[in-house]
Amino acid sequence: MGEDAAPGPALAGENPAAGPAGAGTDAAAVLRVRGLTKSFYGVPAIDRVDFDLFEGEVHGLLGENGAGKSTLCSVLAGLYRPDSGRVVLDGEAVRLRSPHDAADRGIGMVYQHFRLVPSLTVAENMILGLPGQGVRLVLRSVEARVSEIAEEYGLEVRSDAYVWELSVGEQQRVEILRQLFRGARILILDEPTAVLAPQQCETLFAVVRRMAAQGHSVVLVSHKLEEVTANTDRVTVLRRGRNAGTVPTSETSADELVAMMIGGEDLPEPGRLAPGRGDGAEPVLTVSSLRVAGDRGAAAVDGASLEVLAGQIVGVAGVAGNGQRELQEAIAGLRPAIGGSIRIGGRDVTARGPRARSRAGLSYVPEDRLGTGLARGMTLEENLVLKSYNEAPHSRFGVMSQRAVTVTARRLVERFDVRGARAGMPVSLMSGGNLQKAILARELTRPHAVLVAAQPTRGLDLAAAAAVRSHIISEADKGGGVLLFSEDLAEITELSQLVLVMSRGRIVGSYTPETLDLEEMGLLMAGAEARAR
Amino acid sequence: MTVKLSVAARAVPSLGLRAGVSVASLLAAGAVGGAVLVVAGNDPLEAYRTMIDASVNGWRPLTRTLTLATPLILTGLAAAVAFRMRIWNIGAEGQLYMGAVAASGLAVALPAGAPKPLMLLVVLLAGMAAGAVWAGLAAVPKACFNTDEVITTLMLNFVALSFMNYLIFGSVSFWRDPAATFPEGKPIPASAELPVISHRLHYGIAVAAAAAVFLWWALRRTSWGFELRAIGDSRPAARYAGIRVRTKVLSVLALSGGLAGLAGAIEISGVIKSLEPRAVATELGFTGIVVAAVARLNPLAVLPVAAFLAAVVTSGSRLQRIGIESEIVFLLQGLIFLFVAAGDFFLANKVTLARRADQSQAPVLAEAGRGSPSGE
Repeated sequence: MGEDAAPGPALAGENPAAGPAGAGTDAAAVLRVRGLTKSFYGVPAIDRVDFDLFEGEVHGLLGENGAGKSTLCSVLAGLYRPDSGRVVLDGEAVRLRSPHDAADRGIGMVYQHFRLVPSLTVAENMILGLPGQGVRLVLRSVEARVSEIAEEYGLEVRSDAYVWELSVGEQQRVEILRQLFRGARILILDEPTAVLAPQQCETLFAVVRRMAAQGHSVVLVSHKLEEVTANTDRVTVLRRGRNAGTVPTSETSADELVAMMIGGEDLPEPGRLAPGRGDGAEPVLTVSSLRVAGDRGAAAVDGASLEVLAGQIVGVAGVAGNGQRELQEAIAGLRPAIGGSIRIGGRDVTARGPRARSRAGLSYVPEDRLGTGLARGMTLEENLVLKSYNEAPHSRFGVMSQRAVTVTARRLVERFDVRGARAGMPVSLMSGGNLQKAILARELTRPHAVLVAAQPTRGLDLAAAAAVRSHIISEADKGGGVLLFSEDLAEITELSQLVLVMSRGRIVGSYTPETLDLEEMGLLMAGAEARAR
Repeated sequence: MTVKLSVAARAVPSLGLRAGVSVASLLAAGAVGGAVLVVAGNDPLEAYRTMIDASVNGWRPLTRTLTLATPLILTGLAAAVAFRMRIWNIGAEGQLYMGAVAASGLAVALPAGAPKPLMLLVVLLAGMAAGAVWAGLAAVPKACFNTDEVITTLMLNFVALSFMNYLIFGSVSFWRDPAATFPEGKPIPASAELPVISHRLHYGIAVAAAAAVFLWWALRRTSWGFELRAIGDSRPAARYAGIRVRTKVLSVLALSGGLAGLAGAIEISGVIKSLEPRAVATELGFTGIVVAAVARLNPLAVLPVAAFLAAVVTSGSRLQRIGIESEIVFLLQGLIFLFVAAGDFFLANKVTLARRADQSQAPVLAEAGRGSPSGE
């Protein structure tokens, strides 16, 4: 039996860590987490995390992407089983075996992507999957109960409405309602405002405060600072899988939280930025006042301007969801610009398609490797010529030469050390590191002036990530420009000669090695307005 | 000891395995069909023997089977080429009708004394063009507004059927033979008839087979086929690679419709020889979908599959003579479809049965025992 996570004696003798200062001294910890560890493929996503949740508090959970917020929440919601560590609920050590189990014990999670059935009504969604439903559905009592809860917490929603009729904000309310309906005392909201408009956020926080007032405990996952400081009682910051500290919100400041989030000690000193190359060099990519619509219609990129010179690596830092993906896609021609212009290698390509941009000198390593960067069901050979299948020698007068394709593929596989492919095997069965090497092999061996790389090392093991970084550096050494998007601040500062900060669809900060100010960058990333310099 | 069933994704299914699974699927369909025959009070062996006699045992039955296989190859290709790109053209049926209408119309309109090769070329191309245009009615809104082609192509089938019926039964149109007592189409001139190979089998089979081989080659060995496969595999990746997806949707749906239209033209020119709606509307288009699915969208595999299904259909009428309802043929078709779909699972996954040793089971028991009052 896996003894690590076995229920031990309750933590009777232990002191509640980080005293219950903010929420009042009489607050009892409903949930205690001690030494929780969960690894994926040997890499710890959370590492010996301690965490306390008091009754009736709103507890902010802050951290960069990949800091472990989602993993911690998923363990608490019963989705993952921890490798080791203890979860103590009401003084009793528990093992959460499944989301159902967690729900039975009063822990409910509202995910970013709602888990509602659009073709059912609100009331039907409430009881979906609950045991004890007879053959005949009696919805009237359910509807009455839903209305009751809705009124109690100010969650206005019609219980006989179909979910597909509801707006995103309303659907989120239904999700919260569902957790309350099922008796959740602890609610985990995973980045609830990511999908909401600003006014809707206010409504949400009103509900959250009301729930706390009724004695519920709410974990608010976020990477938006202002939201956490304005709406929580205490804040826990996760950094690289560890608890970087838990503080009462009233006794901290945005600056302090940023310092905790990005943790000065393990970042390179500002001086480590490589000296500016490319002084006086030609611009290879110019983006001017670009505006791009997001998936939900509103402008995701809202007047962004930047320039990449030959031989220069420009890093774009920012919290996910601030228009980076839309900016990349607009540069690549996969998403139309609704304003502004894009020049690649001196040519205006704003109105041109992906192929024209590729010909103008753009190489692009997309964030989504399998599915965009690679055709998942095709072979490695076919994927390596995905952009040159119709050019000589791979193709003459529309007829492809299998031999020429194989020759090219062999050369690239050898040069970029791509492993794990077999003839006829779809690339989707290869490992992430090899997939990324395959994309780089294809993109970097085409004639190009600028490389746009999005999250090029995300999810890769150390060796593969190092290989990818060295390819990026040698690009610039050879005189190519690189636009690097990464959520890993250390990676950006290590590689770039110019660091830009993107927030709310704009470039809000620009730093050279001399002016780099990590603290200020963190604030800008978290949504603060640029300070006057 | 327990036996554990484990399922793992298979990287590359071998050719032998693919063929083996296909044959096993057909045998399984035959076995279940046999069980149904037994339940219905028939002798399955006699039934299957009759079917073989009626479809492949001898030159005459064989020509009958191949004659029916000809349009099925073309409609099978029509479905396969579209499905490969994940464009669900369910409208081969209607596209075939329109091909038949155009081909018969031109055959009657052109001077009967025109040279045969020219006549045939014009008639077959007209059929293709009409099928392509009919598919285009669904393709243009698909490409421009991303309408659901399943619905548009399906609905256009009914429009085409009504149109064809109207030409013969509902009006005194150019197609209708004024000399005939009952409503029927004008016979096409001899110069528009496809030459015969033997009995009723005509050279349309060569056209269909050539189309299958050409498409097979084009999919594997041309940049056109590469683009089609890339789009079918992953549309975002295709767009990323610079492939013009919209143009391709238009051209591939038109090609698909063209193949179905060609099937209609060949039926007119080689078999029916006048626009006879009841002879044209025999679900050749819909059966093509079954052909494509059983052939796993491989144009070359469409050839044997179309022949096999043609044999099953051809033998249907003979079954009635020994007292078996011809509906059994539809049942068999359905079973084949079902078992082939199930067989796909075994191609994509490796299923193994493994015996588990006792000790690995112990923790499971222990864990289950914890909750019970008796404990351990």
